[in-house]
Amino acid sequence: MARIFVTGVGFITSIGNDREAVSRSLRELRHGMVRYPPFDKPEVPVKVAAPVRGFGVDSPDPEDWTYPSEYRLKREVLRSLCPNALFAYCAMQQAIRDARLGDTDISNQDTGLYAASGGSPTILGRLLNQMYQQGVMRCPPLGIVASIAGTVQFNLVAHFKIKGVSCGLSSACASSSHALGFAFDDLVLGRQKRMFVVGAEDGNVDTILPFAGMRALSLNPDPDTASRPFDVARDGFVGTGGATVLVLETEAEVERRGVVPYCEVAGWGQASDGYNVAISHPEGHGLRLAIERSLRAAGIASTEVDYVNAHATSTPIGDISEVRALRAVFGSDIGRVAVSSTKALTGHGLSLAGAMETGFCALALREGFLPGSAHLSNPDPACAGMNIPRQTVAAEPRVVLNNSSGFGGANVCLVLRRA
Amino acid sequence: MMSDVPPSNEAAPNRAEVPPKPFSPEDEVAMRESLKRCSAATVEAAVQFRRTRDVALLPTIVLGVIERFVELELRPKLREGDDDLRLVEDLGVDSLTMMETVMLVEEVLQMQTNNDELRNLRTVGDVKTFIDCKVRGLPLPKPTRFLPVEQVAAVMPIQPPFLFINEAQIGSAGAQGKYKITGQEFFLQGHFKDNPVLPASIMLEALGQLAVLFLLEGAHAEPGKRVDPSRILFTSCEGVRCHRICRPGDTLTLSVRPRRVKMPLATFEGSIRVGQDKAAVAEEVTLTFAYADGATQTVGARDNAAAGAPSHPRDAAGGQPPLAAAAVSAS
Repeated sequence: MARIFVTGVGFITSIGNDREAVSRSLRELRHGMVRYPPFDKPEVPVKVAAPVRGFGVDSPDPEDWTYPSEYRLKREVLRSLCPNALFAYCAMQQAIRDARLGDTDISNQDTGLYAASGGSPTILGRLLNQMYQQGVMRCPPLGIVASIAGTVQFNLVAHFKIKGVSCGLSSACASSSHALGFAFDDLVLGRQKRMFVVGAEDGNVDTILPFAGMRALSLNPDPDTASRPFDVARDGFVGTGGATVLVLETEAEVERRGVVPYCEVAGWGQASDGYNVAISHPEGHGLRLAIERSLRAAGIASTEVDYVNAHATSTPIGDISEVRALRAVFGSDIGRVAVSSTKALTGHGLSLAGAMETGFCALALREGFLPGSAHLSNPDPACAGMNIPRQTVAAEPRVVLNNSSGFGGANVCLVLRRA
Repeated sequence: MMSDVPPSNEAAPNRAEVPPKPFSPEDEVAMRESLKRCSAATVEAAVQFRRTRDVALLPTIVLGVIERFVELELRPKLREGDDDLRLVEDLGVDSLTMMETVMLVEEVLQMQTNNDELRNLRTVGDVKTFIDCKVRGLPLPKPTRFLPVEQVAAVMPIQPPFLFINEAQIGSAGAQGKYKITGQEFFLQGHFKDNPVLPASIMLEALGQLAVLFLLEGAHAEPGKRVDPSRILFTSCEGVRCHRICRPGDTLTLSVRPRRVKMPLATFEGSIRVGQDKAAVAEEVTLTFAYADGATQTVGARDNAAAGAPSHPRDAAGGQPPLAAAAVSAS
């Protein structure tokens, strides 16, 4: 079977807008949470979010937006972007540079792009308001492509002249892990030689606050503790946005181009809970099966796994469901394998989460560290006997898992191996 | 070109479908916000227009709005005031940008357009004329039509190797054509010895040919009359000046505008550019012409075919896709 490698990464995240900043935040456990000004109202019980820094994207007019000076976007590109497509555009440029890809490496029939984004509720809301208030013919012509789910790949595929496969994946918080999994399959099956995998979310009031109604958000007003996966006092997740782009390539391309990969993608697996539209199976049945399938597909025994980047979003039910799945997979070995949730630092990026955390694992594998699980003071009793490092530790992990679970009980596990 | 016609009272009943609303201070604030990326002159012209409905302000407003949507480096072109500038090819305005432009103009001028009306706008001049007619409530001019080489050859009484038009656009205000000097033209063998240069007489001939095409295809003819292709002849020219040597590889951009057309004489002004360089101008090129015997009702099928069936739209065979169609194909 063809071997597949991660050869480039690009980050626009709440903990850094490039690889170096992200790596530093992971090592020093610097989180991205703030008291979020738009939540500073008596009627909003949620106070903390983890917004992307360095971008001003609140104006309805993209030509008013501000973004870091190293990026240059023409009006004709900006006009069809939503905030998360702008983040993805910037992360894409980083990943291209990081993987040392030339124009012909990007735009050819063997290079494709899979993306995951919840679209832009903000832009869609504005568009509908404009349609109802000013008339159907008074809406911006590109309002649809700037807002609906799929907006990220519409824009990136057109602007970066992608000619291979392209598609958007939608499984809520498992979306970009699905995107990576199917990109892996296309490479293994010889359909493509190189794939861009993109996860992106706006991470603003309109993407985060609707989760308050389902009681999924933390009401903790303290940015230093609002996101604390596995802690007994956790009370919900903290919302974030941004974008991550990963470049996946076949071994033949890695050799032809002479690049040093971050890590190998050894395999993946998925399974569904078949249980509840929004609540994880209490025993983590779907996630357990996804992990087992991913290890089988990769030809790796659970005893070889050094680190698990958990999905754990800091919700009372979800974290424990995942702990039970991990116990079922690792059995008596559970005390050996390091488990942490980097969502303590970043917040939960929804469609962005899987790609972003795979990017973190790629950094950990190449640079030699295990990210700590921040803000953990009193572990939930259900975590007894587990190895949850509270600080980032220097280590040389060989095999790393990245879990993601989405609405409807969709579970994905990605297996990464040191290159 | 529009400002010299005073607003007429007859046009008023046909004017916009909706009578202009009073221009409130709130409207002005909103309009200034909408136009915030336009030049100060554009904003002031728009404010004045809403107060006075003075159509002399329209060119400033329309050009100002187009300019706002054109990339910075292309804006100097627009300021040269060439109505023949093509929106797509010369200004990089795609069909979606065209819609953004029209929506902003609609908002500022308080008018409405429909998709069909936008399909045929190809040049800056087309847009200016279109907006002018809409605001005055005049009938819209016949759209600019694009003729590829096959159609040019089908219409013209002049044929290769003496036809110096590769493609042409015919609008109500004039015609534009292109001719690429291939180097294979027979007369270049001797003009000059070992030094091929397009003769000035051929440049003038090319302008005359474009004027012939305009007469045959343009919208100027009296109703029910058709110009006879076999009875057009070159008569005179005045004020001809050549500015640039044209050689094989150069593409001539030919342009003619009618000054007076009244049987039996048609007088045009003409110019030739190569890229942005002025190559030649002719202050007057005059042709004689005559209408074909018999009215159009009696034109037989054979004649119709020879003339390319003028009653049918021709641009389906070539040119850019219609604006609205290009936009909706995106989904």
